[in-house]
Amino acid sequence: MATSLRHATAVVAVGLCCTAPLDAQLASPRSVPATYAITNARLVPVSSPVIEKGTIVVRDGLIVAIGATVVVPGDARVIDGTGLTVYPGLIDAYGSLGVPNAPAAGGGGGGRGGGGGGAAAIASGGAAANSNYPAGLQPEVSVTTLLKSDDEAFSGPTSAGITTALTGTGSGIFQGQSAVINLAGADVNAMVVKAAVSQNIGFSPLRGGYPSSLMGVFAALRQQLLDAQHYRDVKVAYDKNPRGMQRPEFDPSLEALQPVLARTQPVILYASTQREIERALDLAKEFTLRPIIAGGGEAHLMAARLKAENVPVLLTLNFPRRTAAPSADADPDPIRVLKERVDAPKNAGRLAQAGVKFAFQSGGLSSWADFTANVQRAVDNGLSADAAVKALTLQSAEILGVSDRLGSLETGKIANLTITRGDLLDRGRVTQLFIDGKPVAVRTPAAGAGGGAATATGAWTVTVTLDGVDLATTMSLRQEGTRLLGSMQGSLGIAELQNGTIGTDGELRFTVTVTLKEGTEEATFIGTLDGNAVHGRMAIVGHSPGSFSGTRPQRAGGPPSGGAPRTPPGAR
Amino acid sequence: MRRLSTIRSFEDSMKKTIRLAATLMAAASVLSAQAKTVATGPGATLITNATVLTVTKGTLKNTDVLIQNGKIAQIGPHLVAPAGATVIDATGKFLMPGIIDPHTHLMSDAVNEGSLSVTSMVRIQDVLNPTAVNIYRELAGGVTTVTILHGSANTIGGQNATVKLKYGGSASDMLFPGAPPTLKFALGENVTRKNSSQIAMPGQTVARRYPASRMGQEEVLRDAFTRARDYKATIDEYKARVAKGEKNLVPPRRDLELEPLVEVLEGTRLARVHGYRADEMLMMLNLADDFGFKVKALEHGLEGYKIASEIAKHGADVTSFADSWSYKIEAYDAIPYNAAILMRHGVVTTLNSDSDERGRRLNIDAAKLMRYGGLTEDEALATITINGAKTLGVQDKVGSIEVGKDADLSLWNNHPLSVYANVDKTFIDGKEYFDRQKDIAQRDQKARERAELEKADANQAPANRRAVQPVLPQEER
Repeated sequence: MATSLRHATAVVAVGLCCTAPLDAQLASPRSVPATYAITNARLVPVSSPVIEKGTIVVRDGLIVAIGATVVVPGDARVIDGTGLTVYPGLIDAYGSLGVPNAPAAGGGGGGRGGGGGGAAAIASGGAAANSNYPAGLQPEVSVTTLLKSDDEAFSGPTSAGITTALTGTGSGIFQGQSAVINLAGADVNAMVVKAAVSQNIGFSPLRGGYPSSLMGVFAALRQQLLDAQHYRDVKVAYDKNPRGMQRPEFDPSLEALQPVLARTQPVILYASTQREIERALDLAKEFTLRPIIAGGGEAHLMAARLKAENVPVLLTLNFPRRTAAPSADADPDPIRVLKERVDAPKNAGRLAQAGVKFAFQSGGLSSWADFTANVQRAVDNGLSADAAVKALTLQSAEILGVSDRLGSLETGKIANLTITRGDLLDRGRVTQLFIDGKPVAVRTPAAGAGGGAATATGAWTVTVTLDGVDLATTMSLRQEGTRLLGSMQGSLGIAELQNGTIGTDGELRFTVTVTLKEGTEEATFIGTLDGNAVHGRMAIVGHSPGSFSGTRPQRAGGPPSGGAPRTPPGAR
Repeated sequence: MRRLSTIRSFEDSMKKTIRLAATLMAAASVLSAQAKTVATGPGATLITNATVLTVTKGTLKNTDVLIQNGKIAQIGPHLVAPAGATVIDATGKFLMPGIIDPHTHLMSDAVNEGSLSVTSMVRIQDVLNPTAVNIYRELAGGVTTVTILHGSANTIGGQNATVKLKYGGSASDMLFPGAPPTLKFALGENVTRKNSSQIAMPGQTVARRYPASRMGQEEVLRDAFTRARDYKATIDEYKARVAKGEKNLVPPRRDLELEPLVEVLEGTRLARVHGYRADEMLMMLNLADDFGFKVKALEHGLEGYKIASEIAKHGADVTSFADSWSYKIEAYDAIPYNAAILMRHGVVTTLNSDSDERGRRLNIDAAKLMRYGGLTEDEALATITINGAKTLGVQDKVGSIEVGKDADLSLWNNHPLSVYANVDKTFIDGKEYFDRQKDIAQRDQKARERAELEKADANQAPANRRAVQPVLPQEER
């Protein structure tokens, strides 16, 4: 109540005086003017040199004037921008913003399954009606059918200065059609800037059926793309001369892959490690697709090929770090892994140097304050500040195919503005956004960059009962969205988890190579996470079913994401 | 340059014979004599005064081996090192072919696609992990070539990958050029037990996967190969119509499940069949006869000794264990004489690790065959070298020390069939991939690098999480 009273006072003040503090002016809950002029501000158009002191005018959702000597229209609400810097609205280039209960980041979990986890995945990932394919292999699903306008959910990203995001369903293998959305709008459909921007592809196996392994994922992708080619060829033949030819059956999934095959729609492939990127690029090459890599944690190791094949990267700002103390009897982390963690902030600079085009994405950050903080760390580690701002705005828009309407301060473009006090990348504070020409107040960010109630991240002490024998082991787990990563060490040997997934309800599943007396075997773990406890069953081919249970000695929150603690932006 | 590139592409050809290769090497050395600067590249290495275990041509004492352009160029006493060649004094040391592990689960990000009974469409090649540190450990055990097989969870598994362990490169760099494609099949308990161990969460039902018996496995195989035969007929008909000049034909749908089975029927893809018991293996051999293809190898084949003549008659190889038995019901009749008995019946027999790391101890397993089966030294060594090369279909390129073959070699400080033997160096295509002295020498520097990296913030475990108490292993590892 106190806040709204203060706002009411501010509105009165605006009526009396021509300029007033910015947030007070814009906070009016009543009639929203259609025209604004921000004067005396530092303007960073990105597409042209910085204007140290200038005016930008927005009207009816579009930028109508920008420059050092712009005449303020008579009907404009004037905002004194002294001390403020205006940037094009920042773009979070990959994720599932606006999709309720979507995974926070990563390649997405399986879409199908008999259990609760599968059902939840379907609820978030969307299952298309009348599809010949199971959920998770339905490229026809459009994220626009799942979007929800949620001011609460958007308060985090908007506090980080993000006005726009590429959003996808975030689950399955063929994850469906993504969309570029603005993080505000009168209704869900008003948020959509462009639909069917890309076909997103994840490589996590489905739950409870084929494909249940990474091998199977590739085979399923390959077969469906081949089927789409065949579908196209049959249809062309039929359309040329339908008489005397049996009508080919309509298939919405294969229909949806036609723009992908025709290269009119890019595919965004989630790939983090060097070998994941190599596999993704190989698949794209095999079918001459237009690939974009999302994640790209080790993209700098693939920079030469990415440059040669002109593949852009949607680079995660969720820098890796050690999530649990190492166990004394475990194989130590390889030096390569230690180095990758340390070098993560250098990734962007290395890509820039190699001439690889990239944009930034939040990648499931646990704190939205780290979004710009980690861009700053990239700048501290070799990326030029100009390149960083460009990667957050125009370059992102170019990669996503919306640079004709977004990404820079130019007349005629959508009036998405990120306004800071101080420099965005030098501890500047986001004070205000404009989205579609309308002011959006910045609030204290909510923790977490995405959904996912259960988090498995941490060190677990686990007892596995197999053939009547108890075997002690420890598991170091890391949850990234619905992906479950980590390693196991103890009396079952030392191995990395494979094909790990976890649902929002805590149902988890992974396979791991275990060392038994007679050799190594592949074990499948299926269980449930409940707070600091986990239990479930384990299967090894050639053994009676086993079970496992474990605890996490101390409560672990979401994965910390690096950056130095900062005052959350936006809180005045 | 033109001539050189012609030579190179010729060498890449799958059908190259040793004799031809030798001719080419001779041609290359003529070139080197004419233009020293060109031919004495960094690839030349001369290993001098070694005991050379050629495997196929006996043991040669005080012998030199010259490596040029990734191939074994010359073998003999007192060879002259070309200018610029690296010379390794191997006095008192033993040189053998790089060890071949015909059945591993090394460097693989997935083992089984166990969801269906027929998953011939999946490929190990798609999930190779070239950074797996176990690759280096295998190199330290003298292993240079392996086939990574799909697991044995289902009747028809996936497409296997044959690789050279060129650690440090990408997965595609490591694929063995020209190695024939293969497909994994599995019989017996692993396939049926997959059923019983299908896990259902409370309140969840999981369909049991057919087949639940050996009868069912045969039916799955016959059904799959019948479907493959029909598919082949469709493709052949299409090709015939195209050949006849028919226009506007749409090619038939490509079926990635059946394509590899057609290749097995046509003999261009090798069938690798996991089997333990004599009855199931006989079933498979009979089934293959019915469909007109050859089983390339029976994997493990623990009861192979019971049907050695039948296996020899079919022409299948066996990749066995030295002395693993009784770890499950179908392994109760396994004996350590298996490999020796099979070899005495003329079956190409090898040892395999069936593991992601045990390949580095295959030399000891081979030695066991001398202890139990009375094999000769060369026969024992053959089970981990030339016989593996035959099973993999790459015997023209690797598996023995012969002029013209790939320079895949391991140098030991002792006879490799001795428990005291360690690998000093391992070469693949003439390039050194392991060197014990270099490994030892760089340990301090690596430790310092590690200590430095461990100090970085990103490598600190969060303060609110205690170090995990170490759990001592309950069994020897």
